[in-house]
Amino acid sequence: MKIIVKSITAHAKWAWKTTTNDICGICRLDFEACCPDCLYPGQTCQIVEGACGHIFHVHCIDKWLNSENSQNLCPMDRLAWKKLQ
Amino acid sequence: MLKVWKMKKQQASDEKTKPRNSAAKIRIQKDISELDLPSSISITFPNEEDLLKFEVVIKPDEGYYKNGSFHFRFSISENYPHDPPKVQCTQTIYHPNIDLEGKVCLNILREDWKPVLNLNSVLIGLQFLFLEPNPDDPLNKEAASELRSNLQSFKRKVTRSMGGEYMDNVYYTKVTV
Repeated sequence: MKIIVKSITAHAKWAWKTTTNDICGICRLDFEACCPDCLYPGQTCQIVEGACGHIFHVHCIDKWLNSENSQNLCPMDRLAWKKLQ
Repeated sequence: MLKVWKMKKQQASDEKTKPRNSAAKIRIQKDISELDLPSSISITFPNEEDLLKFEVVIKPDEGYYKNGSFHFRFSISENYPHDPPKVQCTQTIYHPNIDLEGKVCLNILREDWKPVLNLNSVLIGLQFLFLEPNPDDPLNKEAASELRSNLQSFKRKVTRSMGGEYMDNVYYTKVTV
């Protein structure tokens, strides 16, 4: 039997490598979705994990850390925010 | 390379045409859909198109302010959840943490606000003010010192003010139903 493949449609699913919950506590959108200020998810809207284990969109946590109120604390547990490398 | 440029152009034009809900609107919509309130708290939208402005009524079922019906106006800024909701009491009430103009002193609405808090936590916190008024963080100093020094007199004043009458040249709104 001879098969001719006329066309194939490839699908891919991607996800950030995270261990904990799946939404950003600040915007409450999925990590795999983009933050509300972005149009496209992925490389342009990455996520970041703190030493405390909490994960946010980079844009969300940066906006918080740049505000006066934040005092550079994680919004979840009020421990000093330190980016996990 | 040419294709990349084409895609970039397409992206840019998409950006212009795509109708965008603001971040604040997206977030408050989530907050509203996740509300889990006790029967003592109700929320209404005077304009259903505008989710950023709404009214809240708290009817404490215990404590000094039992049987009262307290009205608040909420306004969510475009910078929500990075800025806390703005809350104003629309009545003149006798309360250590709410002044006669309706300004509210609640830690999570000011210095302790964090963007991971949501509308539900604010409403529960606001209700808590009526169950446990806090004399150590006063906006109405007279009411706070009364609460601290003479509980019986404080209770009487709360009850009188809630009925709607003049007390020390201030007319308090009738809040009992």
